[in-house]
Amino acid sequence: MRKVYEYPRSRAAFERACKVIPSGIYGHQGPAEGCYVPIEAFPLYSSKAQGSYLWDLDGNRFIDYMAAYGPNVLGYNDPDVDEAAARQRAISDCTTLPNPVMIDFADLLVETVNCADWAFFAKNGNDVTTGAVMTARAYTHRKKIVFFKGYYHGVSPWTQKIDYAGVLEEDVQNNLYVTWNDFDELSEVFEQNKGEIAAVIAQPYMHGNFADNELPAKGFWKKVRKLCDDTGTVLIIDDVRAGFRLDIAGSDHYFGFKADLICFCKALANGYNVSALCGREFLKIAVSSLSFTGSYWMSAVPFAAGIACIQKMKRLNCPQLLIDQGTKLKNGLVTTALKYGYDLHVSGVPSLFYLRIADDPTLMLHQEWIAECVKRGVFFTNHHNHFINASLTDADIQETLEIADEAFAVVKDRHS
Amino acid sequence: MDEKTLAYINLFAVLGSLTRLCELDGDCKKMIEGKNISIGIAVKDGPEGTIWFHDDRCDLIPGVGKCDIKLPFGSCKKFNGLIDGTVTPIPSKGFTKIGFLLNQFTKLTDKLTAYLRPAEGALDDPEFFTISTTIMFHLILDAVAQIGNVDKVGKASASYIVDGDVRLAIDGGPEGHLHAHGHALTAVHTPCEHPTSYMVFSTMKDARDLFDGKINGVAAVGTGQVRVGGMISMVDNVNRILDRVSMYLA
Repeated sequence: MRKVYEYPRSRAAFERACKVIPSGIYGHQGPAEGCYVPIEAFPLYSSKAQGSYLWDLDGNRFIDYMAAYGPNVLGYNDPDVDEAAARQRAISDCTTLPNPVMIDFADLLVETVNCADWAFFAKNGNDVTTGAVMTARAYTHRKKIVFFKGYYHGVSPWTQKIDYAGVLEEDVQNNLYVTWNDFDELSEVFEQNKGEIAAVIAQPYMHGNFADNELPAKGFWKKVRKLCDDTGTVLIIDDVRAGFRLDIAGSDHYFGFKADLICFCKALANGYNVSALCGREFLKIAVSSLSFTGSYWMSAVPFAAGIACIQKMKRLNCPQLLIDQGTKLKNGLVTTALKYGYDLHVSGVPSLFYLRIADDPTLMLHQEWIAECVKRGVFFTNHHNHFINASLTDADIQETLEIADEAFAVVKDRHS
Repeated sequence: MDEKTLAYINLFAVLGSLTRLCELDGDCKKMIEGKNISIGIAVKDGPEGTIWFHDDRCDLIPGVGKCDIKLPFGSCKKFNGLIDGTVTPIPSKGFTKIGFLLNQFTKLTDKLTAYLRPAEGALDDPEFFTISTTIMFHLILDAVAQIGNVDKVGKASASYIVDGDVRLAIDGGPEGHLHAHGHALTAVHTPCEHPTSYMVFSTMKDARDLFDGKINGVAAVGTGQVRVGGMISMVDNVNRILDRVSMYLA
């Protein structure tokens, strides 16, 4: 039996944080949005990270399958990326005039990403999804945007819902919502809003929370592409989450179609803060017309890191490597679950796998199992898809399966 | 703020709290001993319900078909005026029983107000605190259901709630649940045997602080003052409705 982790230092740090930071840790890395059930099972702060591992303040080591919610694609502290960043830092970073490394990065993206004729840089995924929607509106002179229910495109008011705190009805009044994979419903919405739809924005497949992730139905994307072409609507792919974990040329390429605009962030620079909006030639003038910038958007260090990251991902054939490792893990977890009579569903592309024990639709059983895994050193979440990184070894997968086995045994014993 | 939603809250959550008041407060229980009388409230383009005092208890039942005293209101706004004390009701039925309305009923609603809007220092009395917080808990449960069913933004939240039961409870205190079916919400004031999700407050004080806006729900999950689990998307959406409760009840 493995040591069961405890987190007194994390708890103490959190109590300190609550005094000076709203809700201690806000957002997706906090205990509420992170769905830490029960709270005692989860560490709250890290002390260091390396490769696939994360250590908390209490010295507990975790095999980290959240990869900082995506950015860690090559492994924490990847030497090639860090070296490129250090070299650039010694030259310049945030300066009055941008460093030409920005052009090198754009060149590389145009060469790498199937639909890219240009690249526009910012910091977070939300910046580039917002830039994409603004570009579509600038180009089409239309207001409405189609979303697929279960979407996540960032945190700006336009990406949120009418009932979210701080969001006005006016912020979302031009949002139209359709069911993922339901082309008939999408066509009907287009018919009802003829000449008013600026863009369809979508993740390459549905990786919503609390539900099995859903790949596109056969022919779905081709039909959506044609509908957009026929109606002069911009097709935006939000590849912030899945980008470079399915296909180095973009997830639209993986699914056999070409987006008009594609948004990248997370895996773009292995944790260095940069995002990119790439697009087709006909939208270059529209994106140029935007008043859209930021203090750190042209910092050079993340560009250098991004170049090194993409070059290394290409050398490693990273998406296939991640899919292969994800498949090994997926098969191992399903087999381990079956040993205890549990039906573990693993959905989505294996490099971005989503887990759910299907025996209990309330997810409580699943939450128990995830908690037992975390307490023994495998950082899974109970609500969100996971992320494979390139430094994950077969030995890590084996250790994960051993911990998963022990966690299943604990849960089984509790309920027998 | 939507007057219609407020009217539903005022009838089914605020006046609905008379049921708990008559259970929990000894003086109020005594006041309705041996009574069998009902007051119907009919709001044009709004809610209808009957507050029925019988068998030493109080129930709120939908509709006004069998009431002894009937209070009609021409609009939701007018009915809401009754609750905030700016409108005096004129019965259309039951003049012979108006004494109950003017005496016991008024005393009951005054007592209810004392529990819902406690005077400074009142909550220092442990018994008062427990009754007040228990009434508040059940009132909020009812208000969430009304907002989820009537308010435009609340309905948007309810539209994301999958079928099932959200257990809401205070450890060692009151308990109830919200039953969701087809995105319609029903407040149920009894424990839930098989919840789909849950939100449990650790102590009466934590619950009270959350109701009074002294602590934040997100922060409380981190500190363990609130426990959530199961289909958490349901809890998320109930929380969004909860945010609107304070707006309506402010």
